[in-house]
Amino acid sequence: MASELITEDRTRHSAKKSVGIIRHLNLGTAVIVGALLAVTVNRIATKLIIEGDETWRRHDQIVMATMLAWFIGFMIGIGALVGPTRWFFGKDLNHDEAMFLAGKDMGIKRYFRYTTDHKVVGIQYLILTIALFFIGGVLAMLIRTNLGHESGGLIPPQVYNSIVGFHGLIMIIATIIMITGPFGNFILPIMIGARDMAFPRLNALSFWLLISILPILAATIALGGIPMGWSGYNPLADQGPLGVDSYIFTIVIFAISSAVAGANITTTAMKMRARGMNWSRTPLFVFGTVASVALALPAFPVFMLSQVMSAMDRAFGANFFNPEFGGSAWLYENLFWIMGHPEVYVILIPAVVAIMEITPVFARKPLFSFNMAIVGIFGIVGLSIFVWAHHMYISGWAPLLNGPFMLTTELISIPTGLLFLVILGTIWRGSVWTRLPMLSVYALLFNFIIGGVTGIFLSDVPEDAALHGSMFVTAHFHYTLMGAGLTGALGALAYWFPKMTGRMLDEKLGRISFWLVQIGFTVTFFGMFAVGLEGQPRRVEAYDIIFKNGNLISTMGAYTIFIGMLILLAAVITSWRNGEIAGSNPWGAQTLEWMTPTPVPLENFEVLPVVTTNPYQYGIKQETSS
Amino acid sequence: MWLMQMLSETGEDTTKQSGNRVSSFLSRRDVQQAIRAWVFWAVTLGGLGYLFIPHLMADSASKTMDIVKSTFMAFYYTSVPVAAVVLAIATQTVLHNRHTGTAPPPDDNPAIETNQMANIVWVVISSALCVFLLVWGLVVDNVVAEPSRAANATVVNVTGQQWIWTFNYPDAHKDTSELYLPVDQPVIFKVQSKDVTHAFWIVQMGIKINANRGEITETAVTPNKIGVFDVRCAELCGLLHAHMQTRVHVVSKADYEKWLANQGSVEQWPAS
Repeated sequence: MASELITEDRTRHSAKKSVGIIRHLNLGTAVIVGALLAVTVNRIATKLIIEGDETWRRHDQIVMATMLAWFIGFMIGIGALVGPTRWFFGKDLNHDEAMFLAGKDMGIKRYFRYTTDHKVVGIQYLILTIALFFIGGVLAMLIRTNLGHESGGLIPPQVYNSIVGFHGLIMIIATIIMITGPFGNFILPIMIGARDMAFPRLNALSFWLLISILPILAATIALGGIPMGWSGYNPLADQGPLGVDSYIFTIVIFAISSAVAGANITTTAMKMRARGMNWSRTPLFVFGTVASVALALPAFPVFMLSQVMSAMDRAFGANFFNPEFGGSAWLYENLFWIMGHPEVYVILIPAVVAIMEITPVFARKPLFSFNMAIVGIFGIVGLSIFVWAHHMYISGWAPLLNGPFMLTTELISIPTGLLFLVILGTIWRGSVWTRLPMLSVYALLFNFIIGGVTGIFLSDVPEDAALHGSMFVTAHFHYTLMGAGLTGALGALAYWFPKMTGRMLDEKLGRISFWLVQIGFTVTFFGMFAVGLEGQPRRVEAYDIIFKNGNLISTMGAYTIFIGMLILLAAVITSWRNGEIAGSNPWGAQTLEWMTPTPVPLENFEVLPVVTTNPYQYGIKQETSS
Repeated sequence: MWLMQMLSETGEDTTKQSGNRVSSFLSRRDVQQAIRAWVFWAVTLGGLGYLFIPHLMADSASKTMDIVKSTFMAFYYTSVPVAAVVLAIATQTVLHNRHTGTAPPPDDNPAIETNQMANIVWVVISSALCVFLLVWGLVVDNVVAEPSRAANATVVNVTGQQWIWTFNYPDAHKDTSELYLPVDQPVIFKVQSKDVTHAFWIVQMGIKINANRGEITETAVTPNKIGVFDVRCAELCGLLHAHMQTRVHVVSKADYEKWLANQGSVEQWPAS
């Protein structure tokens, strides 16, 4: 609604006039209201909930009530409920308030408010993603430091298990939002020629929901950690300390946030494309982002459900997953992996389409077989819903299903192969303009082929019986999520950095970082493949001395990655502050986001564009869309 | 290489006879470069795999593990030519078509938007590979299940609990903390847990099955080598998960009978 109002009247308004309570709400008030409500509810709950036989349940109930109070207080304090409340009582936000929410003429402050402008949300997501990767990376260094010491055992097991759980959880959240968050919000609406997202307030909501879970995540440290790992397997999670309640809350709120973001991005891409932009003229990045968030829509509610059930088990003895009283661990495993495998593609598809968006620009050729890319993306989306039980071959749940799940899993190699064909066909006989984003294209090809092939090994039932639960699996999924996923995201960052910040990302530091990260990555995970083949289990804090060398190699590689990443961080910070000024279209690309000035004005376009061709017209001698 | 041929067709002079196409295509400079890169990658990857992977994998003490290893190598060698195509095209383009500088390269490349033959070839080959993988998987899955169907199989009850394994021999009413198995004799493991989920894994025999509370799961194997091997827990099960391991002693049938009859503690048994 905000965007409509803005479109109607584009003259300058003073933001100071007739802006109600929203004026006073920001991150500070959110934290204060959240903390106050949390403390109050904690006091009341401690008084009200009577101590019974099962005191541990009482603690779970109190902790959960406190977290819920924090969450509600935070959302009230940030102003998420102002609009809905006004609407409920019969009066919507007025024009000045809508303009205020969009962050008009507000400078840096708008980043700490419930701002609806998609570009602000995109930058907020970018900062959050970087912060999460930093924390997750530090945790990874702790893991590798422990394992680099001969046969491990530096860090006590309870702490180590929680570190592994945190690393997993934070990295999963970071990788899920790393492209759809920053670039899906900032770039996608401009790319389709829209003035904002379809639901600007939902956009702000999805971001601030994520922020609200950060203190809950941090509280986990004081509550005993999450020693059951990020997968939260029951009945182990049922046994776990109060930190598991934090984990449950984190997942539930994250699922809501991703559903909100997913509905918003999908609607935006469906309804708000520029005139003339029919599906065959829509950039691939739009398809991929929509495919990713649309896949998350059925997947994450299942995860949320499993966590709600887990919370009921812990707080009220519901015993959904407790075999002692008729519950089933297999039920949890099924629910988890019904989310868990689509989630892999939720992460991967945006990375691959970002790379596909980059490839034609830097190869100066049309995207090869646009249709095959579409079929590849949606083939993966469709199949990925039917492959979850390949994580359960050795669970003993339903051995008769192993064959069918092996079939569906191996079928995924066909649409995945199409994505390779599209990228290879585009670079073949093209120019290779070796700027930073293009380096990521090559790194993704190299890593993704290894990640894909090792995935095929693991899809084979007898092979999986030998390798499941070993470091081989850990190395495999790091190759897909990090080698392909994160590499794609770094390519996207280098590519869209000039549009988002108005400055070029430092090429020299970027290159140093690129090579350190990629070489370090290869070393780390080859060491891990080796110890996995040899028989080292995952998630162990100590290991047999025979695995010493492989682990040492992995640790050295991991340090190299970390140094590389720090250099990238330095490059991002210095370039953002005083990098070389970028023009509106430094790469000579053809998608719409490069047709608007940099920095992008509040409503993106002076005049809404009309699209006549697809955006990959390189070398085609005719009139192009722009 | 078929792929490259197909990729190159569009934008080329198509007046030539189709019979000549292949040879004229193969003599093209970029194709030659790509072929050389392909050979380089295929030989390098194949050679590295041949030299190193067999030594990296755990020693084999059962036919199941032999199959695991041969499957790994078969899939590896199948993947090498495919991966080499990807890497060859990447290598050729980056070595020979590189454009450096701060301005975008000129728009003078062939504007190939698609190529029907390349698409068909790619889909057919990847589908064929997929069918191969599936058939291979189903066949070997059937072979590794053989011990579970053996009429004369020994049964061992395996119980996981935080953080030890207990083995029960129902025929001899015997409980041990280390596993003893007769060589060349099919064994069926009936696995369960007393608390959380564990995974029973005999590393050198290539078998693994989860231990669940309240459920009995089964796996089976025929050990074919006398020696001492490793049992590890492969499912995170809490504090001492990393230490939840024990040993398997595979011994001759005569020694096994002697051990079954012996009522003494397992520590009296000398390591094989």
